[in-house]
Formats: sequence, structure tokens, C-alpha cells
Amino acid sequence: MLNIVFYFQVHQPYRLRHINVLDIGKKANLFDDALNGQVMRKVAQKCYLPTNKLLLSLIKKHAGRFKIAYSITGTAIEQFKLYSPETLDSFKALADTGCVEFLGETYYHSLAFLYDTNEFLDQVAMHRELMKNEFGYFTETFRNTELIYQDKLSDLVFEIEGFKTIITEGVERILQWRTPLYAYKNYSKDINLLLKYYQLSDDIAFRFSDRDWPEYPLTVGKFVNWIDHLTLAEKKNRNQFLNLFMDYETFGEHQWAESGIFDFMQHFPDEVLKRGHLGFATPKETFALSNYQQEALSFPEPVSWADEQRDLSAWLENDMQHNAIETLYELLEKVKTKGDPQLLEIARKLSTSDHFYYMCTKYFQDGDVHKYFSPYDSPDQAYIYYINALADLEERLS
Amino acid sequence: MKILMFTWEFPPLISGGLGMACYGMVKALLALGIKIDLVLPTKEAVYFPLRQESDVDTLPAVFMDASVHRKYLNMSFSSLHERLEYIGISGRPESYIQLDEIRDYLKEVKKETWQSVTTVKEEQELFADMTTHLIGDEDLIKKVQEYTLRAERFARELDYNLIHAHDWLTYPSGMLAKKISGKPLVVHIHATEFDRAGGPGDERVHKIEHSGMMYADKVIAVSKYTAQMIMSRYRIDTAKIKIVHNAFTLSEDIVLTKKRIFKGPTVLFLGRLTLQKGPDYYLEVAEKVIQAHPEARFIMAGTGDMSRKLLRRSASLKLKNKFLFTGFLNRNQVEDILRASDIYMLPSVSEPFGISPLEAMAFGLTSIISKQSGVSEVVNHAFKIDFWDVDLMAETINHLIEQPEECRRIGIEGMQEVNAIRWHEAAEKIRLVYSATLSEFIKRNP
Repeated sequence: MLNIVFYFQVHQPYRLRHINVLDIGKKANLFDDALNGQVMRKVAQKCYLPTNKLLLSLIKKHAGRFKIAYSITGTAIEQFKLYSPETLDSFKALADTGCVEFLGETYYHSLAFLYDTNEFLDQVAMHRELMKNEFGYFTETFRNTELIYQDKLSDLVFEIEGFKTIITEGVERILQWRTPLYAYKNYSKDINLLLKYYQLSDDIAFRFSDRDWPEYPLTVGKFVNWIDHLTLAEKKNRNQFLNLFMDYETFGEHQWAESGIFDFMQHFPDEVLKRGHLGFATPKETFALSNYQQEALSFPEPVSWADEQRDLSAWLENDMQHNAIETLYELLEKVKTKGDPQLLEIARKLSTSDHFYYMCTKYFQDGDVHKYFSPYDSPDQAYIYYINALADLEERLS
Repeated sequence: MKILMFTWEFPPLISGGLGMACYGMVKALLALGIKIDLVLPTKEAVYFPLRQESDVDTLPAVFMDASVHRKYLNMSFSSLHERLEYIGISGRPESYIQLDEIRDYLKEVKKETWQSVTTVKEEQELFADMTTHLIGDEDLIKKVQEYTLRAERFARELDYNLIHAHDWLTYPSGMLAKKISGKPLVVHIHATEFDRAGGPGDERVHKIEHSGMMYADKVIAVSKYTAQMIMSRYRIDTAKIKIVHNAFTLSEDIVLTKKRIFKGPTVLFLGRLTLQKGPDYYLEVAEKVIQAHPEARFIMAGTGDMSRKLLRRSASLKLKNKFLFTGFLNRNQVEDILRASDIYMLPSVSEPFGISPLEAMAFGLTSIISKQSGVSEVVNHAFKIDFWDVDLMAETINHLIEQPEECRRIGIEGMQEVNAIRWHEAAEKIRLVYSATLSEFIKRNP
């Protein structure tokens, strides 16, 4: 049996205003409410609302056989409440079906794991609390920001009550000859690991509407045939897991409705479930479905799902990114000591990884992706606004 | 006395100190009763007949084409800004002239000068130098070509006693006007290519600067520092050079009271982020001071070709959120940033004058200026340090941070000193240069 494990990332950052040195100390709002509201409403119209509606109908139609998982950040939930409450309601309707798993992550979609263990644990706890309050859901699978993972993350997550599975990228330099189609264990065999099958995930997320791609157009039949082929290699009846992980904004936002992405999703479960040896599972179900001795995998260095390198270089490569993030975590310490909850909230909103992504200066193809996602003219501008925001926060502190 | 004046910058068409200097100088010259027809790189073919002091703010304009001018007179504008927009002064002039046209024109200039029987050999050479070096595809060169093309008409049709041209961008126009009218030419050196480039610079610009100064009847240098430079680097006859220091007059409606941004001591660099101004030395000083005084904040205000390099460097030095970039600031923002700062630093590698430190001192900032700047000749209540002496500059700032009372006292003394430097005196000196030039001219051409 091959189980397709869908996980969709739902995230919106609080983008910064174009903060000038002269704005510092005026206690002005650091975040661009107008832009953030505009983006949220646009993405809700193009992606969240239509996709939720479609997936809800598919779940109902297939009565328990079609399942999906979401990881929704705290900053996204907050902005649903501010700018698109109907989106939050539609996620709640999905939660009520019982066919949806919600994953745990850092509330602020931050890189705290790499810089501040206590802050990481705080943000994970905040997020778990949020999932409980909004969806009545107790999270059991962990997804770190941008699928960043290394051995010591599994140690930390194992220490948190209730997390049994972590999902991350199926990086070739770790897997080598192995396939991401099996569930693995972390290096100490305490935690279940699921690895993204990036070729097929990216066929949907990145290549679906690319007319230069030899496989264009991607039809449901073709895609399910590829999946079916994956089962041929398995001779011992071990359960396989095809982990299709992607940004939720793939549907209708990165791949426009005109590309046929919604039609594709509408017919996908039918085509899969026609075949008895194919089905769907959520990440936490893989734990019980693993009918074999799971191999342990060691990730000594951090990996992620970003860019060609699948490492940290999208957020932490150049000097601007390093200076910005180090200054942030130093300041966060001071804010915590001071104990002002409003300032802490600002500092945490500044911990969202997107801020560092905007400062990325990598060129070529990846640079284009960065540019597409950035609300600023250049990495330098993003850095200037961010550093000015940190200078302002520090003035408010003293 | 009536002057035909060519300049590249004048408020609100301004990118640096040249515009500020011309504004103060022209205003003071008008107060002395001197009439000025001002030619700027405007989009439309206009000149500005300035007759009284207030004209420097209203900028009355005359279109060279009578029919266009009549149309202009019938227009009504809701604001000064809108009127200047119409004339095309708020932005840099677009280059709409084809290069071929320029070449043909320059050939004409050559022909006229070379075939003229009265032309002496030296003059031919100077014109040849100017025209052969005013060639290039760069935006700026094209704009200068266009400006020069237009100068001919002003030179022929306007009525004036003397021509005054500011910096190399207008020297070709000044030369042409002198050639056409036979009137004497005064060129003003606000900065040479050596200063701007912080090194050898562009050969073409040197040639144009040299031809302009050689062809001029008098050369005004803004400081001894600059006079020395044009003697040693351009070999200009010392008898021709007159030194007139720039001055500084605050506008009357300005607010000087402190309005802090940071609680900690605030240090300011205000100028173009280019090699000449030494912003890289400022960054090095900041790194040293921040180690001793993490409460200090360093602001780098302005833009320029080194912006990106400096930004990246400040990040690699891990200056955290203590070294901040403002980007481009408009006039009001410049005043705000001055009101927010305690210490001003301009480590120019080569600064012919430098009005910016005077402005900072007028706001009561304690100033550190490089010894390689003309402004250091006119102020005493400022620290004068070699631009490369990063350690001494850092020590000085540390000392001022540790002795805030002393810092404030020096700032106030500097403010008083700068308040006594008036454009009126500078204009008086320029008037003397004009009259001496004219009387020599009349003696030579009885």
C-alpha cells in the first residue's frame, strides 16, 4: 500500500513598513497594516477560500478516505482574524471533518531553534495552545520553520510531551541511495521521521504551469501513473508514504486558477482511490502504518526545503542576514528581562523567518523566487527597514 | 553691473553643496545691486533674470522663444513648484538630443574658432581641448553637451558685462559665451575632478577644467586648499586666482532646538556616500567607538555610489542596530536629522570647501572635520583631524561622549562662530573680483 501524505503550509508574515531613521522613537506602528491586510484578503480570495471549499467537498465525498494535513502559523491565524475571519471559519469546518491533521510549529514561523532554545520552546508551546483553542486539536507531528531539521532538533522535540513525528525535506545528501518513501527514525530512534518527496511535490508546487517543462501539461492520469510506478519497487509489502509537502498558496496563488490547478486537485483523489493499493494518510497515522523496522537517519547539519541547496542559505548566508538575526535575538533577551508584553509581541513578530528571506542576495533562479515573495525593492532595503525596526524597538525599551 | 551666470545647481534644482553655495552667493550679490541672468540645466530653454534678493526664491523665468514666453505668461500656476515643474527645473533635464547633432555642432564651433583670424594659437588649443573632451555616451556628458549647445543663444541674445561659470559642467558654456561676446569670463572652482573622484578621476573632465581655467580672465577658488590644488595640479597662473571662502546663512524660518531620536549620544555623517567624503573612514571610526560606547548611535545620511558597499560592510562588522542608514533626505528631513544629533563628522579625503559642516555647526553640533578640507580654514571651534587618522577621530568622539558638557560647550561656541560667517562678506569679495576683471578688460580693449 502506498499512502499519499499531503501537508500544506499556511503562513503569512507581518511585513514591515518602510521605516526611516526619522521614524524611530515615535512609537509608530512598525508593520504595514495596509499591505498585510491587502495581501491576506487577496490570498484568501485566490487561494484559502476556494481551496478550503474544494478540499472540504472532497473530504465529504470520499467519506474518510481522503485526508490532508495543515501547518498554520500563529501570524497567519492572527491575520485571518484581522482581515479574513471567514478563512478561519473555513479551516474550522475542515477541522470538524476529522480527516485533517494540524501540525505543530513555532507560532511566529521563526528560526528560534537555531538561536534561542528557550524562545523556540516558548513559541512551540504558544502554537500548540493556539491549535487547541482554535481547532480543538492536540498536535502530535512537528514541522519546523521551512522544514529546517537536524539531529538536535529531534532531541528538543522529543523532550516536548506528545510529539511523535517530525517532517522534513528528503535531502539527497542525507538519503543517498535510500528512498524518501519509507518512514525513518531520527538518529536516536526516538522520533518518527517523514521526508518530503520533492520531485513530485515540486511538480505540483513549482512546475505545474510551466510551459517549458517537457511534462506540461500535468494531467491527473499522468501524475497518478507516476505514483503507481513507485509501488513497483516494493516487493515486501511494506507500507510506503509519498510525502507531498508544499505551500498552501500553491493553489490559486503561485499556480493561478487559470492553470487548471483546482481541476487537477478535484480529480486527483478519485484517480488515486480507483486503485486499491493507493490511499491517503495523515503524518501522524504513518506511525502506526510503519510495518517494518525503521532505519535511523542522522542529520548532523541543518537542512531545509528552500532553493537548490536545501540548506539555511536562503535566510542565513550574507552578513546582513547574520547581523540582523543576531541583533534580534540579543534584543529579544533584553525585552524578556524588561517584561513588557507589547514589546515582546513586536520582537516576536520580527523573528518571523520571512524578514531574513527578503535580505537574501543569492542570484539566478532562486533569487527570482526571493524577489517574487519580497515586498521590498532590494535585499538592502529590506535590511535597512529591519535594522531601523530593531533600533526603534531598542529605544522603546530604554 | 550685469552678470551672465552659468551653474548646474540651484535650489530647488540641487544635489549638493554647489546649489547651496550658489543660492547664498547670488542672493548676497543681488543685495549689492548686481543683476544676474542665471542659466540652469532646465528642460525648457529659459533663463532667470534675477534683479532683487527675493528673486532667488521665486525664480522669475523668461523663455527664449517669444511666442513660448507669451504662452507661459498667460499660464496660471497653483504653486511655485508647479511653475518650476513646467519649466522643467524640478528634475534633471532629459537628454533628447542625438549625439550626431552634437558632433556636427562641435565641428561648427571648431570651424568658427579655427577659421577666425583673430584667434591665437593658445585659444585654438583650448577650444580643441574642450570640444574633443566633451564627448561621451554618459548621461551627464550628454546633458553638458546639450547645455553647452543652448549657451550660444544666451550668449548672443542677452545683454551683460561679464560671464561667471560654476564648475566644469558649465565651463564649456562660459568659454563659448566669452568667445561669442568677447566679454570677460570668471570661473568658480567649487570642486575639481581630483576632489570628486578621490583619485585621478576622468581625464576628459580634467581637460575641460583646465581649458576653462586657462581661458578665463579670473579664477575664484573656494579655499586656500583649492587654490593650492589648481596651482599645483592645473598649473594656473597664480595672478589669476582669487580666494573667496564660501559662507553660510541659515534660512529665517529654521528651527534649531534639539529633537532627539536616540537617548544615547548620536553621531552624524551627512553627505554623498562617495569616496571623496570618506564615508568608509566614518564606518571604521564607528566600529571603534561602538566597542567603547555601545550606547552610541551612528547615522549615515545620504546616498551615493558607495551605499551598497557601506551597508554590506556595516553588516559584516556586526554593528548591530547601532549604525543606521537614512537613504536620501529632503531639506526638512536634513534639518530633523541635524536636530537629532550631537556630533557631526565629515572625514573628507579632499574637500575644496564643505558647507555641510557649517550647517551642522549652526545647529550646535560639535564637529569633526578633516584637515583636507577648505572649511577648516574658516572655523576654529571644530576638531580638525587628518581623514585617515581613524584612531584619533575615534578617541575624540569617545572623549566627547564621556564629557557631554564639554561637547555641548564646543557645539555652542561653534554655533556662535558660524553665525558670524555671512554671505555678505563673500559677495563683497566677489564684487571686487568682478570690478577688477572688468577694469583690466577695459584697459585691454579700450
